[in-house]
Amino acid sequence: MLTYTPGETLAHRLDPRGKLAVQFAFAIAVFAGPAVPWLPAMLALAVGCLLLAGLSVWQALRAYWVVLLVLLLGPVLGAVTLGPPWIQPERGLDSLRSVVRVVPVLFVSAAFVHSTPVRETRAAIQRTVPGRFGQLLGVGVALTFRFIPVVREDLRRIREATLARGGERRPLRDRVGRITTLALARSMNRADRLSVALQARCFAWNPTLPRLSFAPIDYAVLALAAGLALSPLLWL
Amino acid sequence: MSQEYSDSVDLVNAGTVAYLSGAVLIAALTAVLAQFSIDLPGGVPFSFQPFGVFFAGILLGPVWGGFSMLLYLLVGVAGAPVFSNGTAGVGIALGPTGGFLISYVFAAAAIGLVAHRSLAPVSVDDLPAVGVTAGLVVGSAIIYAIGVPWFAEVQGWTLPRAASFMAPFAVGDAVKIAITVGIVAGGNELLERP
Repeated sequence: MLTYTPGETLAHRLDPRGKLAVQFAFAIAVFAGPAVPWLPAMLALAVGCLLLAGLSVWQALRAYWVVLLVLLLGPVLGAVTLGPPWIQPERGLDSLRSVVRVVPVLFVSAAFVHSTPVRETRAAIQRTVPGRFGQLLGVGVALTFRFIPVVREDLRRIREATLARGGERRPLRDRVGRITTLALARSMNRADRLSVALQARCFAWNPTLPRLSFAPIDYAVLALAAGLALSPLLWL
Repeated sequence: MSQEYSDSVDLVNAGTVAYLSGAVLIAALTAVLAQFSIDLPGGVPFSFQPFGVFFAGILLGPVWGGFSMLLYLLVGVAGAPVFSNGTAGVGIALGPTGGFLISYVFAAAAIGLVAHRSLAPVSVDDLPAVGVTAGLVVGSAIIYAIGVPWFAEVQGWTLPRAASFMAPFAVGDAVKIAITVGIVAGGNELLERP
């Protein structure tokens, strides 16, 4: 599973705002540009991002194998027709030209996930999205990340308790209804306790956040993001 | 060493904290349900993925339901392995099934709006079954209306081909809508909030 891994690579040291900007700009550049020679150049840049984050191409491919399998269905099923001539290679090629663009975007995204802790992304969101909405998003992302293992454990217990009471022999509607209701009730219970805990700790609109600061290299990363975002103008 | 802070503490009001907490927990539950399934007879997996979206709208209403799904999406983009099969990153949100993930934000808001018929949510106990059903049908329609053309575009397929590929999933979703209506209309005291 691909998650953040602490490290000392250049990608780890960059400011998360620049890295987020590059990801979105890269996607714009890849989807808006022509296939040749632009796409191989973008693929090379994506592989460069992986290497800068200390990841190999193989690790990225392994992390996203299910998505790559779905992408592969595109050209394979795209070429098949339900009647004669049964196979139309040019339709498969059209599909291949489309799905192949997702691969470099996945690579850049793998480099980001591997090199950026969620709390930094949270700070980046909170500093980039203005106003109270940005603050709620930042706090919400951090808290959601914290509660996923807790809710997963709740659901595991519910499942085991249902099985221990012969739940697998009950009709589908009953089983799903019970598991979902119990999971929701536990989560809402936790939400009430979280709400009280946040208020007890003076949850405020003006907290002290971790410092984010741009080093010279981060300005270079932002310039790259701007260049990539504007690259579709080249093809007008 | 002391540091001077000129700003006084500006507390978030209790109502906002309560809805934010609800949105956080429903986003976390959606993330967990995306990886959760039970086996039907014959070994066919029954996925719980849409229940998070459905209940985000039903329990939290349009504003906070949509916000909750936005949190789910952002946590995945930020790198938590919360999308199907434990994946994460912008690449997934922009990949073939990314349209479905993005549609969740609009679907939860629509479900909340149709079921509650106002921006502020009412008690689940007071929701009419017809309104909940209509909300879930509209929400599911939005999920497919955004997800299927997106899937077709990324895969380089025609829209009818993508639609026929996705059609079997709609059958499962219809069953999930029926189960959700059953849970809400059954007057389940577990879902009532003070």
